[in-house]
Amino acid sequence: MSSADDPSAHSATRRKVEAGLARRRLRERLFKGFGLAATAVGILFLCVFVYTLVAQGASAFRQTELQLDVHFDRDVLAPDGELDLEYADFDAIPRDALRAMFPDVTSRGDRRELNRLISIAAGFQIRDMLVDDPSLLGETRTVRVPAAANVDMLVKGHIDRALDEALRPVSDRQVQWIEALQANGRIEQHFNTALFTNGDSREPELAGIRGALMGSLYMLLVTVVLAFPIGVAAAIYLEEFAPRSRWSDLIEVNINNLAAVPSIVFGLLGLAVFINWMALPRSAPLVGGLVLSLLTLPVIIIASRAAIQSVPPSIREAALGLGASRMQVVFHHVLPLALPGMLTGTIIGMSRALGESAPLLMIGMVAFIVDVPGGFTDPATALPVQIYLWADSPERAFAERTSAAILVLLGFLLVMNLAAVIIRKRMERKW
Amino acid sequence: MQNTTLILLLAGMAAAAFYLGRSRSLALVGGVSNSAMLHSLPGYYGYFTAVWCLLPALAVMLVWVLAEPRVVIALVVDGLAESQKNLSAGELNLLVNNIRNLAAGDAVSGSVDASLQAAADRYNALVGVSRWMLAGLVLGIATLGALSAWRRIRPDLRARNRVERVIEYLLIAASSIAILTTIGIVLSVLFEALRFFQKVPFTEFLFGLNWSPQTAIRADQVGSSGSFGAVPLFAGTLLITVIAMCVAVPVGLMTAIYLAEYSSNRVRAIAKPLLEILAGIPTVVYGFFAALTVAPWVRRTGEALGIEVASESALAAGLVMGIMIIPLVSSLSDDAIHAVPSSMRDGALGLGSTRSETMTRVILPAALPGIVGGILLAVSRAIGETMIVVMAAGLAANLTANPFEAVTTVTVQIVTLLVGDQEFDSAKTLAAFALGLVLFVMTLCLNVVGLSVVRKYREQYE
Amino acid sequence: MAQRNTARLALASAAVAVALAGHAAAQSARDYIYIVGSSTVYPFATVVAERFGRSTDFRTPKVESTGSGGGLKLFCDGVGVDYPDIANSSRAIKQSEVETCRSNGVDEIVEVKIGYDGIVVASSISSPPANFSRRDIFLALAKQVPGALEGSLVENPYRTWRDVNPALPATRIEVLGPPPTSGTRDAFVELAMEGGCAEIPWIAALEKSDRDRFRAICHTVREDGAFVEAGENDNLIVQKLEANPEAFGIFGFSFLDQNTEKVRGAAVDGVEPTFDAIADGDYPISRPLYFYAKKAHVDVIPGLRNYLREFTSERAWGEEGYLSERGLIPMPDDERRAVAKDVRELNPLTAAR
Repeated sequence: MSSADDPSAHSATRRKVEAGLARRRLRERLFKGFGLAATAVGILFLCVFVYTLVAQGASAFRQTELQLDVHFDRDVLAPDGELDLEYADFDAIPRDALRAMFPDVTSRGDRRELNRLISIAAGFQIRDMLVDDPSLLGETRTVRVPAAANVDMLVKGHIDRALDEALRPVSDRQVQWIEALQANGRIEQHFNTALFTNGDSREPELAGIRGALMGSLYMLLVTVVLAFPIGVAAAIYLEEFAPRSRWSDLIEVNINNLAAVPSIVFGLLGLAVFINWMALPRSAPLVGGLVLSLLTLPVIIIASRAAIQSVPPSIREAALGLGASRMQVVFHHVLPLALPGMLTGTIIGMSRALGESAPLLMIGMVAFIVDVPGGFTDPATALPVQIYLWADSPERAFAERTSAAILVLLGFLLVMNLAAVIIRKRMERKW
Repeated sequence: MQNTTLILLLAGMAAAAFYLGRSRSLALVGGVSNSAMLHSLPGYYGYFTAVWCLLPALAVMLVWVLAEPRVVIALVVDGLAESQKNLSAGELNLLVNNIRNLAAGDAVSGSVDASLQAAADRYNALVGVSRWMLAGLVLGIATLGALSAWRRIRPDLRARNRVERVIEYLLIAASSIAILTTIGIVLSVLFEALRFFQKVPFTEFLFGLNWSPQTAIRADQVGSSGSFGAVPLFAGTLLITVIAMCVAVPVGLMTAIYLAEYSSNRVRAIAKPLLEILAGIPTVVYGFFAALTVAPWVRRTGEALGIEVASESALAAGLVMGIMIIPLVSSLSDDAIHAVPSSMRDGALGLGSTRSETMTRVILPAALPGIVGGILLAVSRAIGETMIVVMAAGLAANLTANPFEAVTTVTVQIVTLLVGDQEFDSAKTLAAFALGLVLFVMTLCLNVVGLSVVRKYREQYE
Repeated sequence: MAQRNTARLALASAAVAVALAGHAAAQSARDYIYIVGSSTVYPFATVVAERFGRSTDFRTPKVESTGSGGGLKLFCDGVGVDYPDIANSSRAIKQSEVETCRSNGVDEIVEVKIGYDGIVVASSISSPPANFSRRDIFLALAKQVPGALEGSLVENPYRTWRDVNPALPATRIEVLGPPPTSGTRDAFVELAMEGGCAEIPWIAALEKSDRDRFRAICHTVREDGAFVEAGENDNLIVQKLEANPEAFGIFGFSFLDQNTEKVRGAAVDGVEPTFDAIADGDYPISRPLYFYAKKAHVDVIPGLRNYLREFTSERAWGEEGYLSERGLIPMPDDERRAVAKDVRELNPLTAAR
C-alpha cells in the first residue's frame, strides 16, 4: 500500500485511528455493559419472583391451631339419646370449649365474635372423631382444632395489629382474646397437612390442593398414554418412511405451526368437538387430557424427530447391509437409540401440559369442586387452574395459599425438567 | 357384556393367535432348527395371525358402538303407539329422552304410565340383546380372522411384508392426527364463526369501533344493544404486544449477544439455564405476579410521578408478558447469531474492529433475517397469550394508545364470553369463536412467515 | 422385536380402552348434585354444598357460577342427568322462563326463597364515603338521559359525578357492574335505575301510557365505557375496586360483608347498606334470593332431598346460622317456616304468579 510507504500519510491514518480509539473503546464498554444489564434483568426478575413467592407462600405451610379441652356433651350432640351424624350440632362442641375459657363473655354479639376464632373445620373434626370412635360421647379430650383464617393471618403477622379496628377483619376484642390464648400456650403453629390432603374449600384454612393435583395427574395420564405413542409413531413415519412429497411437506409445516398455535385455540377446539359434538362431560380430566394431548403432540413429534435425526446414518446402513428390512432397522436399531431423546421431549411436553391453564378454562374445569376426583370422568380441576381460582379470591389467606400452590407447581416442574436433563445426560449417546 | 371386558377378551385372543400362528409356521417346516426355510421369522407369522384376529374385530366393534343408540331408538319408536309416533319432532325427542332416562333409572319429567314403562323395558331389552350380539359378532369375527390367517400360513407366505404394511398404515394414521387437529381447529372455529357472521355482519365485526357483547338473554329484558365491533380488542391486543416487545426484544437480543460474545463459559453455564427456567414458568404464575405485584407497583410509581394510571394498565400486563418472552427471543436470536459463519466474525475482528463493531456491523446484519423471524414468532406468542392478560388486563374495551389505561384483548374476551356459558345459540357465545378464528388466522400467518424466514435463513449458511 | 411390538400393542390397546371406558362412563348416572346459577347466591350455595359434602356420605355438589339468567336457561333445558338439578337465582323466575322450562319437559319446579340481599354500590376503602340518590345513579348510568326540554332525551353527556349532581365529587364516572346474564343486573336495573328514573315526572308518567318506552329509557345502561360489564365474578370486582379508588362496583351485600376491610358501601338515598338496614327494608335496593330445584330429580339424584333439607335448616339460614355469617339476611321466622314446609313437601311452583 502506498500509504505504508509514505510516513506522513501513515502517521495521519494512525492519528485518525487513535483519535477515534477512545470513543470506540467507550462504545465497546457501553455495549458490553448493555449486554450484561440485559442478562441481569432476566435473572434479577427471576430472583425477585422466587423471593416474592417464597416470602408470601412459606407461611402457608404452617397452620395456626387452637388447643381446646372439648367435652363431647351428650346433651348437645344427642339430645334425643341417639347421635344423628348428619344433623347433630358438632360446631357447638369446640365453641363451648372456647367459651369455657372466657367465662366473662356473655352477650350474644360477643359470643358470636368469640365463635369466629374457630374454623368451621373444627366441627367436622369433632364429627370425624365420633365416627371413628363413638365411645367418645360424654368424654372430655384435649384436641387441636384449626383456628379461623383471620386468626391465622393475625398470628402470622399478615394482619397489622396497629391498624385501625375498622380497617382490619379482626376486632380489638378478638385480638385481646388471641393474645390471651397465646399467653396460655393455647395457640400453636403446626405443619399445614390440610393443604395437601384436602380439596378446594371456601374456607382458606380448609382449602387444599389434593383435588387439583389428582385432577392434573389424571389429565397427564390421559395425555401421556395418547400423545407419547402417537407422537413417536408420527415422528418415525415422517423421518424414516414418508416419501418427500407435497403431503409430507404439508404435514411438516403443519406440525411446526401447531406447536405455535395459542393454547386457548385448543381450548376452543375441545369445547366445540369434545364437549359440544361428542357430548363428553364438562370439567372431566378425560376431556382435559384429550385437549392437552393435542397440545403436546407437536412438541413430542418435533423432539422425537430431532432424536431420530441424531442417530447416525451409519447405523441404518449397517443394518440394511445385513439384510434387515426398513421396519426392522427402525424398530430394532434406530428407535432404541433415539428413545432417550424421545423421552426427554415427552417429559418436556408433559411439563408444558402440567402448567397449561387457558384451554382448561374453556372446557369447564373452573368449577368449585370440593371432592378429590377419583376417576377420569369425575369433575375436577387442575393445579394451575386452582391457582387461578385462588388468585381471584379476595381473602387475604388465599393469597398466601396461592403462593404455596405455585411453589408446589414449580417444584413439580423442576423435578420433571431435572428428570429430563438426567435422562439426556445418562442415556443419550454422543456419536 | 361390558365393552371393556370385550376388549380384554380380544386382547387375550390376539395373544393366543400370535402363539398359534408362530407355532404353526414352525410346525410346517419341522421345528426351530429349520426356521431358515420360512420366508419370515416365525414371530412375524404370529403377528400376522394376531393382526387378522384383532383389526377387523375392532373395526366392527367401533361401527357397532357408534350405530347402536340410533338403531335401538328407531326400534323403540317403531314399537310405540300410533298416537305417539305422530308427535312433533321436539315432543318425540322429549319422549325418547324420558324413555331413556327411565331405562337408566334416572329422573323423568311427568308421570310414568304403563306404555312408557313398557317402552323403557323394551329399550333395556334391546340394549341387552345388542350387547350380546356385539360380543358374539366381534368374537366370531376375531376367530374367523385368526383362523383364515392361520390357514394361509405357509413357508413362502410373505408374513413380514404384510405385518410391516399394517404397521406403516398405523404410522401414517398417527402422523395424520396432526393434520386432523388442524382441520378440527379450523372447522370448529370456522363453523361457529360462520354462524356468528350470519347474525352480525362481517364488516361490522372487523371494523366496528364499539365492543359490548352482553346482549339481553330474555325477550322481556333490556340488555345492551350488543355491538360487536372488535377494533378496540385488536387495538388492545396490539398495545400490550407492542409493550411486551419493547421489553423482550432489546433485553432478549442483548442477552443473546452478551452470552454468545462476552460472557465467560462459567457465566453462560449458569445464566442460560436460569433464563430457561423463566421460559418454563407457567403463564398463570406470571399472571398472578402481574396482577398482585407488578400492577400495584406500576400504579404507585405512576402516582408518585403524577401520572394517572389505571389499576389494570396495559403497561403492567405488557411488562410481565415481555419478561415471559425474553427467553424465547434470546434463544432464537442465539440460534441466528451462531448460524453466522465464524469466518465472517474472524474476518471483522482481524481487520481491527472491536467486538461491538463486529457484532453491530457484521454479525447482526447477517443474522437479521433469522432474528426478525424469531421476533415474529415471539409476537405470535404474545398475541395468543391468555392467562397474564386475563388476570392482569382489564375488561373494558377502551380504544386507546395510552399504556397507562386499561385495555382488553382478544384472548381475555374469549375467556370472559365462554367461561360458565354453555349455550351455543347466542351471538355472544359465537362471538368468542369469531375472535378465536381471528386469533388463529393472525398467529398462523405470523408463524408461517416467521418459520419460513428462520428456515430459509438457516439454510443460507449451511 | 417381540417385546417391543408387544409393548406397542399393549400401549395402543390401553389407549383404546381408556377412550372406550371414558365413553362408557360418560353415559352412566351422575352421583352428585349439579348446581348452576347466580354469582350472588354462589357463595351461599358453595358453603352449604361444602358442609353438606363433609357432614354426609353424599358427594359434594358441583356448583358453577353462570349468572341467574344463564343458570335458569341451563336448568330449563331438560330433565335428566345432563341437566342441572338446581338453579340459583338472585331474582324470582320469570314467566317466560317457566314456559321455556315447561316446553322442555321441566314441569314441576320447587321454588326456595332463601333470604334477602342488598345490592351495594361500593368503592375502595381508601376513597371517601359517598352518598348517592337513586336519581344520581340513573343519571350517571343510563344510556339516554332527559335533555333540556321536557320529553326530550339526549345521549348521556355526564363524565364526572359532579356533572350529575353538584354535591358529588368531580371524579370520573367509572362503575363496574354485572352483565345481563346476572340477576344482580336485573334487580339493580329494576330497583335502582327504575327507582331513580321514576323520580323524573314526565318519565314516570310514561309508565302508565307507554310501558315499553318507559322500560327502554329506565333499563338501558350506557355503553360508552363509564359502565364496565365485569363478568360474573364478584370477587374480581372487589379486587379491581381495591386497585382503583375512583371506581365503584355493583354487587351483593354479602361480598361487601366479607370484604369490609377492602371496600365500603355508598349510602343510597341516605341509608348505609348495613345488615340491619337491609333486614328492615330501609335500604332501597334489596331483593330476595332464590334457588329452584327440579322435583323430578328428587330421590333420583343422590342427596338432593338432603341438600334441600340442609339449606332450609335453622343452622344454615337461621338468625344465627352459618349463612348469616356469610352475609345472607335471613327471612322472618314465620316466612322461613312456611318455605321450609313447602320444601319438605316439595310443593311445586304454581302456574299463576
